[in-house]
Amino acid sequence: MPAPYTGRCGCGAVTATIRGEPVGVRQCWCRQCQQAAAGGPTNNAMFLFADIELAGQLSERRTPAASGNTLSQFFCPQCGTPVYGQSSARRHMGSFRLGFLDEGHGLRPDMAIWLDDAPDWAVIDPALQQFGRQPPPPAAKG
Amino acid sequence: MTHTGQCFCGQVRFTVDADPVGSRACWCRDCQRIASGSATINVLFAEDAVAFTGAITTIERVADSGNTVERGFCPKCGSQLYSKTLKPAGLPMRIRAGTLDNPELMPPQSVIWVDSAPGWAVLDPKLPHHAKGPDSPILNRGT
Repeated sequence: MPAPYTGRCGCGAVTATIRGEPVGVRQCWCRQCQQAAAGGPTNNAMFLFADIELAGQLSERRTPAASGNTLSQFFCPQCGTPVYGQSSARRHMGSFRLGFLDEGHGLRPDMAIWLDDAPDWAVIDPALQQFGRQPPPPAAKG
Repeated sequence: MTHTGQCFCGQVRFTVDADPVGSRACWCRDCQRIASGSATINVLFAEDAVAFTGAITTIERVADSGNTVERGFCPKCGSQLYSKTLKPAGLPMRIRAGTLDNPELMPPQSVIWVDSAPGWAVLDPKLPHHAKGPDSPILNRGT
């Protein structure tokens, strides 16, 4: 399904409308993502904020990354649904969690990253482009 | 044997003074929402063996199963910590595998709610797949 995409958290306090296509969709197995995402990977569609209308209060957790950048995870303070992640190096872009988007979006991961951190029981789609750690940044768009 | 775990930011920590009684991946729609699009990976323990420290926010709702379920997460970092069934009583508590210091403690033994998994989900063919909850029909008995 092409844009617009819509999203809502589990309790409905946070909603979004996204009027553009993602730059990429990545599945991330880094240890921090497993901790935040109940044991599996996060699945993230990278959208430009210029395309996004977001409503509702969010909580933010900031973490320093090895690169020197700051990573922020935004989630609904009422139900804990993860909404998006963002790097200080790419403030124009947000990595929206596929679970936050409403049904029928049709998006799927095209790349699996940080596989060095994945547990032995992880099952990874062999058709995905795979990286042990951080891949190159997505190509600029528009 | 004592098992330990914590959230992403370390505000919540826990110990479990028992070994797990099961482990499964859950693709219900509620789980995909809180697990950033994935299944939740849940390691099951007797509830009275689990002890948390730190502030936890809880949300209660009727799950796809019809059970009343409480889910807990860290209010500072949003990490999903557990779910437990309030009604009916007596079911094991589900600790999210990502918060265990050893996420390999018990690999998933079954996959549940595969009816609502997205088309791109990769389901381990070695495990039994249940259409809905753990008592629902098995679509694939695994190997």
